[in-house]
Amino acid sequence: MSEHAAHNEGGDVVYAQYETIEQQQESYVVGMWSFLVTEIMFFGGLFMVYSLYRWKYVDVWSKMSTELDWRWGGLNTTILLISSFFVAMAVQKAQKRETKAQINYLWLTVLCALGFLCVKYVEYQAKFHHGLWPDALYTAPHIIPHGEEGYSRIFMSLYFAMTGLHGAHVAIGIIVITTLIFMTKAKAPSVSDFVPTEMVGLYWHFVDLVWIFLYPLFYLIPK
Amino acid sequence: MASQFPQHGHHITPTKVLGWNLFWLLILMASTVLLARVFHFLPTFPANMAALGIAVTKAYLVINIFMGVKFSTKLTKMYAIGGFVWFMLIFGILVDYATRSWEPVPGWEKTPSSSIPRVPGIKE
Repeated sequence: MSEHAAHNEGGDVVYAQYETIEQQQESYVVGMWSFLVTEIMFFGGLFMVYSLYRWKYVDVWSKMSTELDWRWGGLNTTILLISSFFVAMAVQKAQKRETKAQINYLWLTVLCALGFLCVKYVEYQAKFHHGLWPDALYTAPHIIPHGEEGYSRIFMSLYFAMTGLHGAHVAIGIIVITTLIFMTKAKAPSVSDFVPTEMVGLYWHFVDLVWIFLYPLFYLIPK
Repeated sequence: MASQFPQHGHHITPTKVLGWNLFWLLILMASTVLLARVFHFLPTFPANMAALGIAVTKAYLVINIFMGVKFSTKLTKMYAIGGFVWFMLIFGILVDYATRSWEPVPGWEKTPSSSIPRVPGIKE
């Protein structure tokens, strides 16, 4: 072990710049929250754009909302809420040093994430078939009044941008969680305590939080 | 519910608390759908407020219980609140669009715009 670190009575490594293991762990968690705040800025801009155009084209957006299947969106919301529970359980098991249960809960989270992406794939496929991908071949649905097709295209552009960016976060989550599982199995020193699992958990809950708002904003717009 | 502190005073959220949190989140999720699909006779504004109110309640439960902010240090709480404040500040930009029509500028109504019309009644 380096001379810049020391073991505390619990066997955890306390690095030289920290006084206690609690202080060290808190700094890791606060660092993760700082990252999440930057993510809020990232998604926040898109939510602002969404609000602006929904405010401007409220009737068209309400009609376009019916083009999205609320049942698929609802299923994905349920999947993500359950996955958040699994990852919270994984953190709890990591804190109790019950490694086998921790890994099982992490696998369940990955399973939910894959399920989410499968549902998204089915949804995107349907949109492509209906000509709703906002490229040059975009075809506005017949419910959209003549002259307002362009506004419906803005809706679909934002739908693909926001759900696509969210989907990318889900995919990154799968990679990170799977890496954590294999590192935990290999007893890698960097994942010896619960903090890495807690940080991955925070990221995953953030992914869930974004979808909690995307679902009513895109799928359930009232008339 | 008694809390457990086996690892250096770090709070461990009991399974029962996490399970109840999931239960309430699923109830809220069902409420959102019911409100939008069954009780869709509600006027637009109350329907929007109700849908967003439920989403905010769900977010509150996830942040407080699953993310553990309720049991965390004041510094972590400050970061969580800071993120929320930042998110709300972004929406302050909408004030700009909302007030453009207060002082219409001649010629602006003919300019192709990607935002809210600057003169009342003009639709791009």
